Amino acid sequence: MVKYVLKRLAFLPLVMFGVTFLLFFLLQFLSPEMRASLYVKDPRQLSQLDAVIEKYGLRKPMPVQYGIWLKQVAHGDLGYSETAKMPVADAIRAFFPATFELTLVTFFPILIVGVFFGVLSAVYRDRLLDHVTRFVAITGYSLPSFVLGLLLLMVFYGHLHWFPPGRYTLDTDMLVHGSAFHHYTGLLSLDCALNGDWAACGDVLKHLVLPAATLLYISVALLLRITRSSMLEELTKDYVRTARAKGLPERTIIRKHALANALIPVVTLSSLLFIGLLGGVVITETVFDFPGIGRWGVQAAQQLDIPGVLGSTLLAATLFVLANLISDILYAVVDPRIRVGN
Amino acid sequence: MTRLLLCASLLLGTLPVSALASAVKNPDTYTYVTISDSDSLDPAWAYDTASALIILNVYEPLFQFEGTSTSKLVPLIAAKVPTRGNGLISPDGRTYRIPIRKGIKFQDGEPLTPEDARYSLLRFLLQDRAGGPSSLLLEPLTGYTSTRDSKGVLRPGVWRDVNRAVSVDGDDLILRLPRPYAPILTILASWSPIVSKGWAVKNGDWDGTEATWEKFNNPSKQASPFFERANGTGPFALDRWDRRTKEFILVRNDHYWRKPARLKTVVVKGVNEFGTRKLMLQAGDADAIYADRPLLSQLQGLPGVQIIDDLPTMEMNPVVFFTFKVNPVGNSFIGSGRLDGNGIPPDFFDDPDVRKGFAYAFDYKGFISDVMRGKGTQATGCIPKGLPGHNPRQPVYRLDLKKAAEHFKKAWGGKVWQQGFQFTIAFNSGNLPRQTICQILKRNVESLNPKFKVDVRSVEWPTFLDAYQASKMPIFVMGWSADYPDPHDFAFPLLDSKGDYPLTQHFSNPEVDRLVEAGETATNPAERRRIYARLQKLEHDLVPHLVIADTVLYRTQRSWVKGWYDNPIFPDSPYGGYFYPLWKQ
Repeated sequence: MVKYVLKRLAFLPLVMFGVTFLLFFLLQFLSPEMRASLYVKDPRQLSQLDAVIEKYGLRKPMPVQYGIWLKQVAHGDLGYSETAKMPVADAIRAFFPATFELTLVTFFPILIVGVFFGVLSAVYRDRLLDHVTRFVAITGYSLPSFVLGLLLLMVFYGHLHWFPPGRYTLDTDMLVHGSAFHHYTGLLSLDCALNGDWAACGDVLKHLVLPAATLLYISVALLLRITRSSMLEELTKDYVRTARAKGLPERTIIRKHALANALIPVVTLSSLLFIGLLGGVVITETVFDFPGIGRWGVQAAQQLDIPGVLGSTLLAATLFVLANLISDILYAVVDPRIRVGN
Repeated sequence: MTRLLLCASLLLGTLPVSALASAVKNPDTYTYVTISDSDSLDPAWAYDTASALIILNVYEPLFQFEGTSTSKLVPLIAAKVPTRGNGLISPDGRTYRIPIRKGIKFQDGEPLTPEDARYSLLRFLLQDRAGGPSSLLLEPLTGYTSTRDSKGVLRPGVWRDVNRAVSVDGDDLILRLPRPYAPILTILASWSPIVSKGWAVKNGDWDGTEATWEKFNNPSKQASPFFERANGTGPFALDRWDRRTKEFILVRNDHYWRKPARLKTVVVKGVNEFGTRKLMLQAGDADAIYADRPLLSQLQGLPGVQIIDDLPTMEMNPVVFFTFKVNPVGNSFIGSGRLDGNGIPPDFFDDPDVRKGFAYAFDYKGFISDVMRGKGTQATGCIPKGLPGHNPRQPVYRLDLKKAAEHFKKAWGGKVWQQGFQFTIAFNSGNLPRQTICQILKRNVESLNPKFKVDVRSVEWPTFLDAYQASKMPIFVMGWSADYPDPHDFAFPLLDSKGDYPLTQHFSNPEVDRLVEAGETATNPAERRRIYARLQKLEHDLVPHLVIADTVLYRTQRSWVKGWYDNPIFPDSPYGGYFYPLWKQ
């Protein structure tokens, strides 16, 4: 197993090289002047673009430019994002924790609800529970997130005043920006708890409820359906019939035999969902006024903030690679044949 | 499950519409939710309403307009308003003696001195960033509108001139004008925020000496400590500008020299999504929100929400500007940069037929009736209603697609019609009327010829300003709010070749410049009216921009907000404005 993981890790730099090379290759479609804006941190430099182009070799062959750029990235210099009004590295540090926190709060409920109801739906095929879960899944899948988001806001904020938009209330805002507050992890709810301020922790969690519920409802549908169909397929296989013939209890058959095999496509989908959430869920972040990485990335794209676009894309690509690695490892855990075959 | 859902829906149906319709939420905190983020908090840099709103409440100028008046001044940092009657204006109208009030402290606890006032004005004049507000004081105090010539080179003698114009004599600030300039006090009422010299120097800003001022001229935005920090004397101190959440937190200045504000905290927050802004207002988490005219019907009748309508403006907004010479460097707004059907050349709008084609392709009447809900009339020139020089009988463009096609056929010797074009029009995100203007232009222009392609792009305000200042947008929709109540404040920035917009547009016409100057110096009202009528006729013929509507605005606030009054000169009025007189009850 260790050998398998190490092998996978060895591939990581290679994949990252491929991703950055592809990104850089795509950038070559822009004129040298537009690419020069990557290096312009001061508006006065706009009148000296030729010097910037010369300095960074933007008219040189692509591999040379790539080397220069990679060196910059290796030093953590990703340029200046005009949309965030701060260096890209700072912008990632500023926006990513909010998205990461939202992802964590959302992902595990998605996993639990999706797998649990997917399995139940398969086991109770064509019965009321199956119909209800399928109905919920279809509506969740087909409902645009901005519609659901606004509906939830109208009911639970506009009507009931329970869950406000944004990241926190003013009191928490003042608290977390005060000198006495320690930022241990960047995850606000956890940091508030570690600082011993449970009221602030509750406030942060309260602000996460609606965006998390929106994402849960929209994302769980796919996982539920995949789990259901995968489980249905497993339940019709010979080894399940054999297990039943041996007199094993149905619960054991489902839990220990069918579910383990049905989880393989679920692992793939879960890792993709995780990446999707981490990459930022733009509409949800916009509707709930949630200052995450997705909203920033889209604003950067809309405004042709090239350093911002590159930075957020690079982050998304890195996350994708990491999530793939984790899902590969999980495959090996779930299905020993994979690591043996490898 | 079904029973559970049924119960939940019944429960929702029985709940009161809003439990908070009457109870005051967060009585010490006032929250204004708008669409814009600020560009910079530097009083010598900022020249946009979102930034000016914060500056107004954190810093203080020498004078301020009294209540709702746009003509009567009250002293703030100054101890008295100079008049000829009190002898503080010299008989020739060229020297102003402004006594500085004693006992004022900056928010860091340091006392304000006349030297701080002098430093603030010199800094305002000498920083002179491109497209910034410095010209407002440079013109009356030095006679020229920029410290640099047309090639961007510093003029000789600037240091001498500004020091001759601004000096200190004992406890008085002395202003010496090269010629009489009647609106000088009203300009100072908005454009003289006093900063602390000690704080500025300590934090790495200009040290106030001749040796270093040139380095400080036309600086980059983020270079100054004033960009994101503030130390004023105003009723509120800046606690924080969170660029991540687009939020300003202002806290009451408890050592304010007047009675401290009733509000403890003011939050100014940017939320682009109208639905979220409305829900925040409904829930009482916002006390006032920015909302365009088309959204009024969605706000009417909300419990606990007050609409104050028909508020006069002192602005020309929206205006569609044409850039005569676009900056092509790294510019995605102009496509291929050539007249090949996939772009436009940088000087595309230099041809008057192109501009007239666009002028006839806009539906002014439809915009006013549908978007402004009939609240307003078609603007007849750059000088808005209510100011001398406004001419209601001025010729105007009307929607006429036949005439638009005629002009496009003539443009660029027929090449425009033959080749077609493609470019992008931009508006600032969240501004619905400006967005609609772009869409109307797109629809009508594209209907003339299948080879005409106009893309519409929403751009965040600070980025929009950067693109505008760099002359990157071939067409952009913006507006102009009065810096001071005088027609010159519209004629100069919108038409003079050294004005804010023409500089960016690269529009210049000697006759226009001559008339702008004549209007500024004329003292006879009838003569001024004639000059401005002639100027606006030229504006119509040359079409450097399209003025759309003279309109009125409305304010949406919670009914518990008390003390608000409208002064159209205040930045972001009537949505934002001055927070000092407000309280919640």
